[in-house]
Amino acid sequence: MIGTTVADARTGRTSAGPARRRRGWLAPALFLAPALVIMALVLGYPVLSAIWTSLNADFLTKPDADHFVGLGNFTALLLHDPTFWKTVLRTVIWAVANLIPQIVLGLVLALILHRRLLARGFVRSVVIIPWIVPTVVVAFLWLFLLDPTSGPLNHLLQATGIVDSPPVWFSDASTAFPVLILVSLWKWTPFVTVILLGALQTVPPELEEAAVIDGAGRLQRFRYVVVPHISTSIALASLLTIAYSVNNFNGIWLFTQGGPAGATDTLTTLAYRTAFKEYDFGMAAAISVVIFVGLLGISALYFYVIEGRRHRKGRPSRQHRKGRVA
Amino acid sequence: MKADKRAGVLAHLAAALAIIVAAAPFLWMILTSLKTPPEIIGTETGILPHSFYLDNYKNLFDTEFLAYFVNSALIAVATTAIALAVAILAGYGFARFRFVGNRPLLLIVVCAQMFPAVLLAIPLYKIMRTLGLLDSRAGLVLVYVTFALPFCIWMMRNYFLGMSVEIEEAALIDGCNRFTALWRVVLPPALPGVAAASAFCIILVWDEYLYANTFIDTDSKRTLSVGLATLMGQYTTDWGRLMAAAVLMTVPIVVIFAFLQRFLTHIAGGGVKG
Repeated sequence: MIGTTVADARTGRTSAGPARRRRGWLAPALFLAPALVIMALVLGYPVLSAIWTSLNADFLTKPDADHFVGLGNFTALLLHDPTFWKTVLRTVIWAVANLIPQIVLGLVLALILHRRLLARGFVRSVVIIPWIVPTVVVAFLWLFLLDPTSGPLNHLLQATGIVDSPPVWFSDASTAFPVLILVSLWKWTPFVTVILLGALQTVPPELEEAAVIDGAGRLQRFRYVVVPHISTSIALASLLTIAYSVNNFNGIWLFTQGGPAGATDTLTTLAYRTAFKEYDFGMAAAISVVIFVGLLGISALYFYVIEGRRHRKGRPSRQHRKGRVA
Repeated sequence: MKADKRAGVLAHLAAALAIIVAAAPFLWMILTSLKTPPEIIGTETGILPHSFYLDNYKNLFDTEFLAYFVNSALIAVATTAIALAVAILAGYGFARFRFVGNRPLLLIVVCAQMFPAVLLAIPLYKIMRTLGLLDSRAGLVLVYVTFALPFCIWMMRNYFLGMSVEIEEAALIDGCNRFTALWRVVLPPALPGVAAASAFCIILVWDEYLYANTFIDTDSKRTLSVGLATLMGQYTTDWGRLMAAAVLMTVPIVVIFAFLQRFLTHIAGGGVKG
């Protein structure tokens, strides 16, 4: 079944040591079995089931009318539904508007927190708080801070005479989406910072010291020593940021339910509303399959470019360098 | 050296700004939870509360808040323990054995978390009903373990990859089997990675809303995030009470992270070391 040689999978060495010569499929199977059984049951089967649902007309309200429609849901969605494409565009804007500022700000913040600072541990703990606090709390907090009648921001704006009537940030179609993006940046940038800070700590100090001795300036050290060392982590943080923001349901639903009038809808909230408000499970499944395929494409790109490169880097012998790219 | 000093000052200024941006909203949340209704609406002004008004907290005990809190804590502990036990085994399996299907399986594990959680709610609801786990905390633990697993496995696998195999081999020669070697030799130095993965599990449970809302019907079995949203519906304009609940939900997780902070960076340090 599964042929194995025990080895250090990173270096790909199969030495003659007694531990590594052991063969058989039983050991890895025992180690992996619990994880694979749980994931197959609670993740694998539902994913397949949802894909099957996307190929059917499946209305919760009409249980007897279920039937196979092939790609019917997808053609209806892609060819005949203008709101779908508007929502696709908004989802892309949402992802990009989350990705770029979070990576830039997250990197800057990580570089600052990596320096010698007064009370560095305290600073690091405080800065990650928005990320660890539950979305429900974040939603209440910002709904309150921006509340038209009780919110301190609007009190301030009115007291200073900047506005006459309080802006209704989350109920106004023109402000709701930008404000949601700002809140999302506030909550998620620390996550990127944590990943990149961890990566910065793996840059060997000797390397930077050597660069200093060689006369490299601050920018040169950053460009030629630090960036190459943490590029994998930047790529991983980017991938996770894209996936989390596209799949972020709470971060929109708890604030606006996708409103007003769909102004803050992404594909995720659209899929949820289609399923649980319109009870059109087939169409909702089709939307989520579209999300899944898009994210899979991006992950595949990551996996083959970054992981493939790491794999090659980890196998320095000539034989392997010439060999296949895993 | 002069440039270094200037950079140091700038870094401290930037750090101070970051602290204000991150913490000011929470400070306001705490202050608001200690204010009387007229102070909150703004008929009485002032940044600090006039007196320590604790009725917002006392009023929470008229609700099921305590039950929500206990439920979330129990579910977080159970999820973290189970997910880590399973992820440590699987991560070790992926890191130390070469077998046909290692990389494709790993790819599946990583990509599994890309599927929108929203739509898994329908099939998962059916599965939970079949297993008799609807409206039960155990059912939620099962779901949360599954959602925590991909990230935890990935982290533990990468952490183990970064550790040398020599000591492990010595243990195997000395008569350990793979499991005892993992338990006695590999795991102790990997504890920072374990702590970071635990942090991830706790965040996940404390934050999760969608499934807890869909699968639990009984009020006394609700978790904090759903319970808080329920309070939001009931006390729409009672911001003081809502902020008090939000403070109590935030405190434990911040305390835990004050301790785990230095391990947390291992999410990346161990997680993506290459």
